[in-house]
Amino acid sequence: MKNFYNSINIQKILYITFFSLLYFQLLTYKAYPDNIKNSEMIVQQMIADAKKHALKTIKLSPKERSLKIEKLIKRFINLDFMARATTGSFWKKATNTQKEKYKSALLKQIVNTIEEHLNTLATLSYKPQKSEARGKKLVYVKGIIKDHSKKIPDVNLLWKLAENKKGKFLVLDLEIEGISLVSTHKAETMSILRKNRGNFNALLNTFSKGQ
Amino acid sequence: MKKLSFSFSYLFILLFVLNGCSNNLKTSAEITDPFEDLNRNIFAFNKSVDQNIVSPISDSYVKTVPYPVRKSITNHLKWMDTPTTIVNSALQVDLENTILASAKFMLNGLSLGFYDFDKDETKIHKKDFGSTLAKLNVPEGPFLMVPFLGPKTTRHFAGTISDRQSLGNVSSDSVNKLSLVEIPINLVDKRTKLANNIDNIYESPDPYSKIKSYYIQNRRKNVYGDKYLEIKNNKSDLEFEKLLQ
Repeated sequence: MKNFYNSINIQKILYITFFSLLYFQLLTYKAYPDNIKNSEMIVQQMIADAKKHALKTIKLSPKERSLKIEKLIKRFINLDFMARATTGSFWKKATNTQKEKYKSALLKQIVNTIEEHLNTLATLSYKPQKSEARGKKLVYVKGIIKDHSKKIPDVNLLWKLAENKKGKFLVLDLEIEGISLVSTHKAETMSILRKNRGNFNALLNTFSKGQ
Repeated sequence: MKKLSFSFSYLFILLFVLNGCSNNLKTSAEITDPFEDLNRNIFAFNKSVDQNIVSPISDSYVKTVPYPVRKSITNHLKWMDTPTTIVNSALQVDLENTILASAKFMLNGLSLGFYDFDKDETKIHKKDFGSTLAKLNVPEGPFLMVPFLGPKTTRHFAGTISDRQSLGNVSSDSVNKLSLVEIPINLVDKRTKLANNIDNIYESPDPYSKIKSYYIQNRRKNVYGDKYLEIKNNKSDLEFEKLLQ
């Protein structure tokens, strides 16, 4: 048998194939767990900071409170991505000023949503669940919000994260019980834009009226 | 009798085959809304009814009725709804859900459903005739905003009517009268639970589109379960990766 291998040099080929496969496997193996770990850390840090904010900002005026929440969101959420994702093909047609105005309007909307739920968040606990790498860039971090008094049923959360150009993992979307924040915002924005034949200023006016 | 048992077994086989074939997960498709103008008017009507009548009642309900009493009312309403889940789970050949729902219905029946002996430990998937129609590949149809009932797909609305009708046919007159009282109670109970979300929807720039999106995502998740979430996420992954490039 040994002579047979030596004669046609298959053993060497097998070794090379095996080690090259192992090398590539290790490369990808290292990359995915790192992404998952980083993403999980970001989500945990965000929730811890939000809880701290909920307790610290109770005595602040509504304006000061909003500013604090704005800072928190900017640190953890990829607002640029969300703005592009919620406006679809209309994003390319908007001017830079319109884009900036839309981003700040979107930020205000997210701040309003978070402000309403921040007080309840302080009394709830977050339990991380299984996370997974999706494709080349995305990471899904799953978790459950639990109310120990059992007045509120468990809420399943799914955070979608990706690395930005600076190498930091940021949140792209949040799904609460399967309902996506980006999809909901997109449905709303696209409906306004379609009604106004893609007029971005009309969208901005509607947003400012709503706020 | 022989004829009846034959037709039942035929129906069972037919449903089983259809269950195996059913894969009408057109989840990525946007829901059609040909009656948008009318729907928006009905939404405005529902909103004013909610803000002027249901919401104040719901607020005072929370203030005056203690939590344990509210909880037992919620339990009772859920219990009253369980036969619909049992029948539709059986029609969908979901044996596990049928057995669990039947067991829970009988157990909680000892307190007429006011007390949950199981303490929500057993997860039962709520099933209605709308979801049975979905299993039979009936398309979800256009979006409707129904007065007092809120957002529904045509399939869901047809299912709701059918469920009410079939429950009315099998139950006694007193139960039917009781269910008439329970409709407004159910409305207030649901409003109480969703208070934060509803207020958030009203404050948004286009509340109609927002509620439509919330409803469709939630309904599809309830009807198709994890299959829907997987298909939806695969689609959004592709979109997100494109945007990240």
